[in-house]
Amino acid sequence: MSNELLKQEIERAMDNAPLQKALKKFTTAYPGNREKVYKGYDFEALREKVHEVKTYARDHLDEVMAEFIKNAEANGAHVFVAHSPEEAMDYALKLAKDNHVKLAVKSKSMASEEMHFNQNFEKNGITAQETDLGEFINSIAGDTPSHMVMPAIHYSKEDVADLFTSYTKEKEEPIISKEVKTSRRVMRPKFLAAEMGVSGANVAVAETGTVITMTNEGNGRMVGTLPKMHLYIFGIEKFVAKMSDIRYIFKVLPRNGTAQNITTYLSFYTGASNVVSDPENDTREQKDFHIIILDTPERRKIMASDDYKDIFCCIRCAACLNVCPAFRLVGGHVYGGNIYTGGIGTLLTSFLNSRERGKDIQNICLQCGTCNTVCGGKLPISNMILKLRTKYAQEDGLNPVHKFCLDTVADRHLFHSMLRIASVAQGMITQGQPMIRHLPMFLSGLTAGRSLPSVAPQPFRDILPTIQQHVPNPKGKIAIFTGCLLDFVYVDIATAVVKALNMAGYIVEMPLEQACCGAPATYMGDVDNAKKAAVMNIEAMHAEDYDYIVSACPTCTHALRDYKDMFEDDPEMYKKAEELCYKTFDFSKLLSMLGGLPDNGDGVPMKVTYHDSCHMKRFMGVYKEQRELLEGTQGVELIEMNNCDKCCGFGGSYSVKFPEMSAPILEEKIDNVVASGADVVAVDCPGCLLQIRGGLDARGLHNIQVKHTAQILVEKRPNQ
Amino acid sequence: MEKAELYETFQKGLTSVAGECYLAKKADLGTALVNVFQEKDTQDVAIVETALLKEAGVVDALQKAGIKVDTDHIRKNAPDDKGGVTEADYGIANLGSLVQMKDNIDNRIVETVADVYVGIVKLSQIVDNFDTMIDIMADTKPFPKFAGIITGPSRTADIECVGTVGVHGPRQYSVIVVEDE
Repeated sequence: MSNELLKQEIERAMDNAPLQKALKKFTTAYPGNREKVYKGYDFEALREKVHEVKTYARDHLDEVMAEFIKNAEANGAHVFVAHSPEEAMDYALKLAKDNHVKLAVKSKSMASEEMHFNQNFEKNGITAQETDLGEFINSIAGDTPSHMVMPAIHYSKEDVADLFTSYTKEKEEPIISKEVKTSRRVMRPKFLAAEMGVSGANVAVAETGTVITMTNEGNGRMVGTLPKMHLYIFGIEKFVAKMSDIRYIFKVLPRNGTAQNITTYLSFYTGASNVVSDPENDTREQKDFHIIILDTPERRKIMASDDYKDIFCCIRCAACLNVCPAFRLVGGHVYGGNIYTGGIGTLLTSFLNSRERGKDIQNICLQCGTCNTVCGGKLPISNMILKLRTKYAQEDGLNPVHKFCLDTVADRHLFHSMLRIASVAQGMITQGQPMIRHLPMFLSGLTAGRSLPSVAPQPFRDILPTIQQHVPNPKGKIAIFTGCLLDFVYVDIATAVVKALNMAGYIVEMPLEQACCGAPATYMGDVDNAKKAAVMNIEAMHAEDYDYIVSACPTCTHALRDYKDMFEDDPEMYKKAEELCYKTFDFSKLLSMLGGLPDNGDGVPMKVTYHDSCHMKRFMGVYKEQRELLEGTQGVELIEMNNCDKCCGFGGSYSVKFPEMSAPILEEKIDNVVASGADVVAVDCPGCLLQIRGGLDARGLHNIQVKHTAQILVEKRPNQ
Repeated sequence: MEKAELYETFQKGLTSVAGECYLAKKADLGTALVNVFQEKDTQDVAIVETALLKEAGVVDALQKAGIKVDTDHIRKNAPDDKGGVTEADYGIANLGSLVQMKDNIDNRIVETVADVYVGIVKLSQIVDNFDTMIDIMADTKPFPKFAGIITGPSRTADIECVGTVGVHGPRQYSVIVVEDE
């Protein structure tokens, strides 16, 4: 699929009012509800244990699976290990045909969707009835799930009324309680008549041979109670070794999924339990209990990969969807495949269902890292998506336009020359203003909902020698890594950084051979140009000559600190990169480490609200230091805005690739800024500054300023 | 936890998920059940009898109150009965959950198909929290062929994320905790 088709999908989703309403409603309520339900629980400790028990099962898969099979079979289950979805389907179909099944009732099983279970049953004249309300709605509509836990979140009650009317041939009113009753009325006779029940497992316990399913509606319990035959289908990623291990998963799964302490039903099936085979005579016998374990080469490949094996720690709680700013905008039909949705869905879709779909939708990830903070299995989801992006770029090559841009940025002389030319040539667009409010023709999307800054008349590298650094008894020497934005656009931020560090007793120098940090290449999967940037900057920065390296852009800081990972097979470069890594800090972190600035300021009142950058908070864990620096400045009143750490939608090249996604995310940020009542938005990331300042400018909100923390600290100390 | 605290915690857990909770002495269990079913306009009830329910004379009390009771052919009868009663093996206080730890098909049918369900659990069988219950489960060898935890009425939020009770299982869910003598 082309980028254009994906963009059409995005546009359709964003025009779908019921979808937008439902997504907004759920994702707005979710964080608070989730927090409440974790009260008294240590989420970090819990998910550490989830990760531990799932990792153990993965690392001992063959013995764990053998133990499960032995115990399940000892209790009367028939276990079939399928090495492909087709093999699994053949087994299920034969089972149904041999037993003259006409109707199978199903509770949710994503593994069965990998087998195209329902379609294959229908082709063979057997009805496979989805009984989960959301899945039932989708099945009437011929649709696929748009959320892993709430599969029909994209339908309004009016849509459901129309679908039910067409299904029952009776007029359905668009009243949710009545629709739920209709579902009960329609489904009850099917549960009672079905010859086969089909279930998916949340967990399979090796030591007892038990499969466990968590549901709210009761359909799962009916499917496992009423039909004479019961078929479980699940993948090899669902095992744990011990019954005791399940406690962690079932504490996290409902809290993370739907913000519940526990779901209504938790059912444990260990082999062939009893069933009533003849209601008239009340005849009881052991049910015909079958288990299909999907042990496919694709799953084994995930398991064998150091980069992706943590996917096996996923408990399918869908928290990564619930907090994702991109998912909130478009839902799982766009940000997902036919089965698995959102961040984890991108990975699962790529490896289990459709490489092509996975390749398209990985672009939707903003790399904000919010998913990582809530993941129940402690998966570094956004990091894995970035690795996936890189893998696709390496295997298929980059988009030629993107490649050209990245090659240009990687050529320091060419790129810097272009920026110098741009500072002169931009006159016809800026018309003397500091912001670019409209770009012509195909570039117009870049200024949708925000203005762009113009290139500074003089780069910082030319300005630094003109700054008088009065540091009587220097404590040491710091090298500044400016990154492209501070060198060529926000020279005033770089100047403030120098002044603040001077106040702290340090001389600042700028090694002139430095180039782009390589983050744009990294985030677009261009490993070659990222490594080229790393080599250039490691050599340029001469970390050995400085006490510290300071950067006032968290993305650059993160990039510099990560360089060493690229040279694990090159000891000489690794050593240099390691020194650079350990000496590099973001401005606020470094200033805080150096003892901050004297506790003074001009005392003039300034209401400040702070926006956390994704890289600064989630990837480097720095969020207290800058607040302490600001609050330690006389006159500054810090007011926290709602969702202060939610992505602003910049995401580097993301706002260029997907301005239609970036713009509404920015819109929300602006709303929160305005609601805070602050005069100034403090940021530590020039990218966020560009985005938020551009958003305020485009809305004519010129009374609210956006400043880097360094600027505020220096401006409030004019006599230093 | 002391017994009074166990009950209070259990009650709090259950009512937070739209369940109702009552405390009764064994001798008063029949009356308590009659009250619940009369209040919920329930004329027919499927009951899976246990020693406790027999000793408490539950069937007799319900029948005397004019309520039709089925105690056999549960798979055939329970789907047509509005009410259902089973006794749980355990309760979990902090969640307000009931736990079955045996493969009793009649229990499973009644707990799932009843519209107005009443669970009975002895106070002495209520454990403080989920961890304690999982410890008991982990120590139960052999593990029963069926075990289940139920917490409140059947529910869904699948349409417009609006929480609604009673989609496939019980719409009204109550528990009577029986004080041990």
